[in-house]
Amino acid sequence: MTATSHPRSSPHRLRLLLAGLVAVFSVLFGFGGSAAWAASSAPIDPTTAQESLAVWLRQASDKAGIPDVSFSVKGSGFDATFTTDAEGRATVGLPGPGTYTVEIDGSTVPATAGAVPSASNPREIDVSATNQNVPVNFLAVAGDAGGAAATPAPATSASTPATGTDTGAGGGTTSGGSADTSDPATTTVDAAAGGTGFWGIAFSKLVTGLIFGLLLALAAIGASLIYGTTGLNNFAHGELVTFGGLVAFTAATLGAPGWLGILLAIVIGGAFGLVQDTFIWRPLRKRRVGLIPLMIVSIGLALSTRYIYVFFYGGDRLALPNDPSPFLVLGPVSLRFTDVMGAVVAAVVLVAVAFVLLKTKLGKATRAVSDNPSLAAASGINVDSVIRSVWIGSAALAGLAGVLVGYYQSLRWDTGSAILLLIFAAVTLGGLGSAFGALVGSIVLGVFMNLATLVIPENLKYAAALVVLIVILLFRPQGILGKRERIG
Amino acid sequence: MPKTPVDQIVAGPIEPGVKKKNPILVVDGVRRTFGGLTAVNVDHVEIPAGAVTALIGPNGAGKTTFFNLLTGFDKPNEGSWNFKGENLAGVPAFKVARRGMVRTFQLTKALSLMKVIDNMLLGATKQPGENMFRALFPFTWKQREADVEERAQSLLARFKLDAKKDDYAGSLSGGQRKLLEMARALMSDPDLVMLDEPMAGVNPALTQSLLHHILDLKEQGMTVLFVEHDMHVVQEIADWVIVMAEGKVVAEGPPSTVMSDPAVIDAYLGAHHDTDLGTISGQLEVAEEMESDLIRHEVEEEAAHDGK
Amino acid sequence: MDFNFIWLSLGEIASPTTAAYALATIGLVVHFGFTGLLNFGQAGFMAVGGYAFAIATLKFDAPLPMAVLATILASALFALILGIPTLRLRADYLSIVTIAASEIIRLSVKTSELTDITGGATGLNGAAKTFNAINPFPKGNYGFGVLTYTADQLWVRVVGWTLVALACLVVFLLVRSPWGRVVKGIREDEDAVRSLGKNVFSYKMQALIFGGVLGGLAGMLFILPRSLQPDNYGTQLTFFLYTIMLLGGATTVFGPVIGSMIFWVTLSLSDGLLALGINSGILPITSVQQGPVRFIIVGVALALLVVFRPQGILGNKKEVFFSA
Repeated sequence: MTATSHPRSSPHRLRLLLAGLVAVFSVLFGFGGSAAWAASSAPIDPTTAQESLAVWLRQASDKAGIPDVSFSVKGSGFDATFTTDAEGRATVGLPGPGTYTVEIDGSTVPATAGAVPSASNPREIDVSATNQNVPVNFLAVAGDAGGAAATPAPATSASTPATGTDTGAGGGTTSGGSADTSDPATTTVDAAAGGTGFWGIAFSKLVTGLIFGLLLALAAIGASLIYGTTGLNNFAHGELVTFGGLVAFTAATLGAPGWLGILLAIVIGGAFGLVQDTFIWRPLRKRRVGLIPLMIVSIGLALSTRYIYVFFYGGDRLALPNDPSPFLVLGPVSLRFTDVMGAVVAAVVLVAVAFVLLKTKLGKATRAVSDNPSLAAASGINVDSVIRSVWIGSAALAGLAGVLVGYYQSLRWDTGSAILLLIFAAVTLGGLGSAFGALVGSIVLGVFMNLATLVIPENLKYAAALVVLIVILLFRPQGILGKRERIG
Repeated sequence: MPKTPVDQIVAGPIEPGVKKKNPILVVDGVRRTFGGLTAVNVDHVEIPAGAVTALIGPNGAGKTTFFNLLTGFDKPNEGSWNFKGENLAGVPAFKVARRGMVRTFQLTKALSLMKVIDNMLLGATKQPGENMFRALFPFTWKQREADVEERAQSLLARFKLDAKKDDYAGSLSGGQRKLLEMARALMSDPDLVMLDEPMAGVNPALTQSLLHHILDLKEQGMTVLFVEHDMHVVQEIADWVIVMAEGKVVAEGPPSTVMSDPAVIDAYLGAHHDTDLGTISGQLEVAEEMESDLIRHEVEEEAAHDGK
Repeated sequence: MDFNFIWLSLGEIASPTTAAYALATIGLVVHFGFTGLLNFGQAGFMAVGGYAFAIATLKFDAPLPMAVLATILASALFALILGIPTLRLRADYLSIVTIAASEIIRLSVKTSELTDITGGATGLNGAAKTFNAINPFPKGNYGFGVLTYTADQLWVRVVGWTLVALACLVVFLLVRSPWGRVVKGIREDEDAVRSLGKNVFSYKMQALIFGGVLGGLAGMLFILPRSLQPDNYGTQLTFFLYTIMLLGGATTVFGPVIGSMIFWVTLSLSDGLLALGINSGILPITSVQQGPVRFIIVGVALALLVVFRPQGILGNKKEVFFSA
């Protein structure tokens, strides 16, 4: 089975191919394509029109396109009806600049998809001269049909690839936004339910943040160990996280139970780390490649790995099987089974990591290499094998983080890269290269981000975390637990 | 170049912190600590103008830190110092250099990805083309460029680097880089040249020529302050010697007598009074010093860590 | 079979997007290539410039010169705000701060609370109105075959490439001047330059502002032929610019131009070839899978370039300061 969530019949496939063909050329032309037309005004070929609209109708919950929905475009003497394609898209050629009204025909939206909230439908769009593929994005909300209360923002992040061609039709998989955590975690915490007021909400945010901080710590400790032993700011660490989630997802689609998926994510994730070290990082160390090029290599690796995930798993949200019913209720907070288990597993693993670092020979060797690689080498430690172990361990931890974040929030091709800067922030907050600092930093950051939403909009919490990162770098670059170091 | 007689240098009995007749640099109460460890704690010291002064001391005595403080590359916890009568405390490094006090580094900082001649031109002052807007109009700076290039050529010739003018500095030998760094520092016509271990890592064959160049600076009216380990070198060229140990100035005096000062012998050797100070010095000690700098740095870090 | 895509790919050489990327990369070369500032937030500078231009034009009805001035001032201010605290820190700190700052910009302009000003997640549309209003080319079609452009499309190309040429000229003059000598010294060892009496902080700031303004103008150029959308300014935009820079040569003046042209022609050609392969059944992938391929290519190219040809196409290996 392919990774995309909706099955395709063969006529769909044919249409998709056609749509894809047009989309491909639209990329080349910088013009729009892929419209299905049925009109009262004569339709205008969007590939030759000077102005065009790119309409995209999707499901709010999983961002799946909704096909075969008709909508009208009116304005400047133009009045035509169109139908969305298999991806829920349509490109509409326009006669000229002006204001156009786009209205989704609610009766053609499948009942299973819900309805487009009336607040965003119809919409007026200003189109100025030579504007092609002006985005007009709609989201259908299941359940409460047309209810204004549940209206999400009419457009979402995943609208356009940041590719610079004048189009949004790059295959429908390439979100430009890498930083949208877009987490539904708030749904797991029924904040306002008990009407407990400010403290109730604050408590629920504290719990949410604490759990997220624990999960973040799994990834951050690995990134910190890699930084400590090799000096590398690994920009591909997010992809190690995503990898674990994808392993678990694949296992789940093959019918494996959840615990097996988690185990596989750890084991195969660790193997992924070994492969990376063996075939990329160790040869580069042997070549004595500098830290800046190494950082850029990790960026390139992150970019290609991320899109290899898209290639195989598609650009949509992937659902890990999850039981949404409350498992543990703490006052105003109700947690699902996976939320509780995720936190417990993360905490147990973190304790185990601490034990390894403090008590075992390998852990001591790792810390010695972090402190001073040449001194460690001189005292008989095999630095290369320590670094290999660090890669394996860090990748395994990141893999585990990926599954747990997948269960806790959501899983997508960019789940890991979306939290990459948070990982960096946690590592920096705790003190670069200090594993325990990364743990503390992660939890502080997780709690801070969520508590911050008491005073700032929810969608700015990620930005708030980055502000913390910057402030820490400016005033205490050694972090909370880091060694003081001469800088500047 | 004859040595400057002691009575032309000092204005009082020879002791640590003695007043000089014509000081170019006067340091008062400069203290620098790393965490709990005091790296530099100099009550009072004066550097005589127009002479060659050596700053010596055992490993970890704080000589390089003292250099960094005086030149603005590090900030002291407290203290002040006057250069040509102007207070330099709190003055950033680049302004210190502009006021006529230039330095070199223990680990040579020749810019190896630039050509030798470009390294030299970088040392020039009053180049209007270093202003971003004037840079766009070559006619505003071409004349000055030609002048400084001429000066660079003659300095390179003096340091026997003129044949390497268009080579990348990275292709020079260790000793040639030291020479280049010194020549580059001279581009600005400084009053005080501070050399941090000018002989470290230099092929012994080049040592004599380096010494000659240092004496040359004095002949041209510049003051030289240099950190050195090789006592033979110090005896040969220094007019005055300042000895540091554990961050403090423990002795001062002309090279002929300061070596027999018990405080110096204590500082260097502990109980081994009978060893000739000259023979244990040289390359070996330089290597030791570099090693120990690493260790000292670690100690400082540890102390800073524990001190919190 | 339709081989028009070859012509269209070649058309990318002159496209305004190519010009915008080239301009932004010239800014990056000033930062990274010549001064050694590891700016991972050039996308943020483009966003600031683009938003300043669009907001000035659409919300304040500013005339074109004022909107351009707003673009320059906003990106200079952004550079100043980033630079004052960070230019004294270690190089890798600057990279983290800049990437974080660019993400903060992108996430902030997207919030629904700012929709009245920034257009929220949908962005802004129609910022080119004052620009197209002064188009001197009479209405009509220019060019031949599939490479036929309208007057407005021609106008943005002419202006875009004129900007790029001007930027190249200025950078060319700068790096060959004593100013350029100082910043090149700084990228290698700022303490050495400081010891020679140069105000290193001031030079770094000048470079950051200058390169940032080029990034801001590139952001303006980028939105002239399209609408302004916040998600175009994600971190991968910056990484595309790094790829272009390393491709052309990080320490060269004209590398960004060559790099940007090759980058976009290659992407277009590979897209076209993939489409051809898919449609003729040669490639066993779906058209949906075709989208990510270009990013995979870019990522691999970036990693290979920096390791195996860090000097790029035009660069001099002896000047590659970042490989050791």
